[in-house]
Amino acid sequence: MNRRIPLLATAAAVALALAGCTTGTGVDLGGSSSGATFVAAIGGEPDQLDPHKTSSYFSFEVLENVFDTLVQPDDQLQMEPALATSWETSDDQLTWTFHLRDDVTFQDGSAFTAADVVYSYERIIDENLSNAWKFSSVASVTASDDTTVVITLTQPTPNLLSNLGGFKGMAIVQKKNVEDGDIATAPIGTGPYQLTEYVAGDHITLTANPDYWGGAPKIETIEYKFISEPATALAALKSGEIQWTDVVPPQQVDSLEDDSSISVGVTPSSDYWYLALNEAKAPWNDVKVRQAIAYAIDRTAIIQAVSYGTAQANQLAIPEASAWYTEYDTYPQTADLDTAKQLLAEAGYTGGTLDMLATSDYPETVTAAQIIASNLEPLGITVNIRQPDFSTWLDEQNSGNFDMLMMGWLGNIDPDDFYYAQHHTDGSSNAQKYSNAEVDAFLDAGRVETDQDKRKDDYAQAAKIIADEASYIYLYNPAVIQIWSPKLEGYEARADRAIRFKDASLAK
Amino acid sequence: MRISPAPVLRFLGLRLLSSAIVLLGVIVVVFALVHLVPGDPVRLALGTRYSPEAYQALREASGLDRPLLVQFFSYVGNALTGNLGVSFRNGGTVTDILLGRLPATVSLALVGIVIALVIALPAGIWSALREGRVSDIIVRLTSQLGVSVPDFWLGMLLITLFSSVLRVLPSSGYAPAGEDPLGWLQHVILPGLTVGLIAGAIMTRYIRAAVVDVAGAGFVRTAVSKGLPGRIVTFRHILRNALVPVLTIAGIQLATILGGVIVVEVVFAWPGLGRLVYDSVAARDYPVIQGAILLIAAMFLLINLIVDVLYALVDPRIRLA
Repeated sequence: MNRRIPLLATAAAVALALAGCTTGTGVDLGGSSSGATFVAAIGGEPDQLDPHKTSSYFSFEVLENVFDTLVQPDDQLQMEPALATSWETSDDQLTWTFHLRDDVTFQDGSAFTAADVVYSYERIIDENLSNAWKFSSVASVTASDDTTVVITLTQPTPNLLSNLGGFKGMAIVQKKNVEDGDIATAPIGTGPYQLTEYVAGDHITLTANPDYWGGAPKIETIEYKFISEPATALAALKSGEIQWTDVVPPQQVDSLEDDSSISVGVTPSSDYWYLALNEAKAPWNDVKVRQAIAYAIDRTAIIQAVSYGTAQANQLAIPEASAWYTEYDTYPQTADLDTAKQLLAEAGYTGGTLDMLATSDYPETVTAAQIIASNLEPLGITVNIRQPDFSTWLDEQNSGNFDMLMMGWLGNIDPDDFYYAQHHTDGSSNAQKYSNAEVDAFLDAGRVETDQDKRKDDYAQAAKIIADEASYIYLYNPAVIQIWSPKLEGYEARADRAIRFKDASLAK
Repeated sequence: MRISPAPVLRFLGLRLLSSAIVLLGVIVVVFALVHLVPGDPVRLALGTRYSPEAYQALREASGLDRPLLVQFFSYVGNALTGNLGVSFRNGGTVTDILLGRLPATVSLALVGIVIALVIALPAGIWSALREGRVSDIIVRLTSQLGVSVPDFWLGMLLITLFSSVLRVLPSSGYAPAGEDPLGWLQHVILPGLTVGLIAGAIMTRYIRAAVVDVAGAGFVRTAVSKGLPGRIVTFRHILRNALVPVLTIAGIQLATILGGVIVVEVVFAWPGLGRLVYDSVAARDYPVIQGAILLIAAMFLLINLIVDVLYALVDPRIRLA
């Protein structure tokens, strides 16, 4: 039995030797040696890489560079040509004809044709995938020849372009790739980069597509790493292991902007956060009570608390960078209790409780709710905050079981996306039960108006009434915050959160 | 001392049987917990805007529309044949996903436990044999500090020191040991140290207590008083008898590391089971969560089984009882 002691001693010696290796070893940190490899850290692993099935932003951070759509948003979020070079609409607005590029191939070398567009759209429609609602007015999608796609509609749909190209969830996929079952892990697109390696849990590698129709990208290889801890991502950026990340806590933006070794991109996104009062219930059906709350909240304090001041205050939904932006500043940036009290007096409201629906899955709603609770206290309103998980939250919202809620809408582009579903009497997301015939008329007109200027005016009019009557009390557009190495050139943070490395390059 | 195989086999059989029963209990509890937690995975997968048809289609495809009992029995039936289901998130089989993550977690756990033992064995024994002296007090204070430090904080400290300031080690990531041994070593050091330093501090205290305990026993006093040299008393009488509690704590620590390095794996972007559980909980990916917990429980039981067998080898009284 004595031989066990030497065994233990040997184990200890081996362990010591191993431990000895762990210090003082010269280390070659990734990135510097491998030349053109560019490493981007995203906050988590994509759930899957099928653009039609994933709803994860992490997936789209990768897929943005792998796939194309018929049209795509430009810097001002206006739709510009992509796989389609031009399009025309029939006089009755019910037939759209798209002319496609004839020089496009998928990354496996096979040709891209109109049949791929038909296949992709029919897949989303027929399989009832999560983006099927974007085709709600589409009657048929057909290919009249290899470079022409005809879409017929049941009603005029001026926002068809943003539905088709707003994000890569509407990507054109390859039938073979789908039927092989490879698309979830080895997708093949027509975009500037092709996916060449996917190591689950660790990284995804993209390689430049030399045959890309928009010209070969300058950066040869992009490696995506999954780092969810901001401090780790920052350390990795500072040590040169990564060159780009969006895993940045907003409270660090100020100090990072002073750091010359890091480039910081902060831009208001097209997402927006709002409050809505349940108009199916008294007293919130009284417009004066709703306005009183809009006057009483301290918007500056809310923005400071939820975003450390990085978000952009906005009393309407659409951000300043968008071509559809409308100026509006009826309400004060800080609490105006006198006006609020006067409005409540006019409404004959003397105080009571308010059931506020926030959700722990979106912590900003809880933070803001606490500020709002203290803002409304001087008005005699006691705010009871509930914070269930998000799917319970959705049930409560849909069954109208709330007095006030706070939520955000993400990834909208066309003004119809911003206003119709939320504020039209028949809108599918009008949980607050707002109804105004004038607003309905403007929103209906916007759906069929083909003159851009008139259409913009329709939505500006509707939006002002919506805010005046506090159907939504708009709060802010949160910022897109990204940091990168100063060596990365030709890259900008975009309002729609699309991460495009196509035109970027790395300085030596 | 002749070891007869029969009692050892009987001992092993009983332990295996009880492990199987515990595992079945784990399946029941995990299944119940996962399905009772609020949150609808189908809804999360679809985002905020979708049609009722899309919702129904995904619900049927994932089998969530069937009664809970039916889901449970089909799960147990499949699990017995090694089929743990299919991930909601990406359609991959859970067994493949888990096996893919296992090497990262096991290698990190082994490095962690080796570092812990290298620290704890000498420190714990040395401290115990010098009970009450200054060196003992220093070891006890240091280990108390190690026990109290949160792992994410220690991890950040190591990243700041070795990656940001000294720039000698990568802050995060992973390389498979089989393909790139040097890369693996570089990446495993910081998370390994984080895990190992804390486990080492805990084990130091246990080992010290075990050795102090044995050193005060009657037979040690007898050995000393009959004139045996100190070295022989230490190794043959004290350390050998302290081996059982040491094995226990080493086994528990190893099992804890295997199942519980979620925070460390998240901090270091280490693609192991802990990180998988973290991501899967956020997405309500039931099949993966169930499978991962089951696997962790199975590893826990396996290590306990091994420790039990080692007990029996180290201490004849246990296998004869």
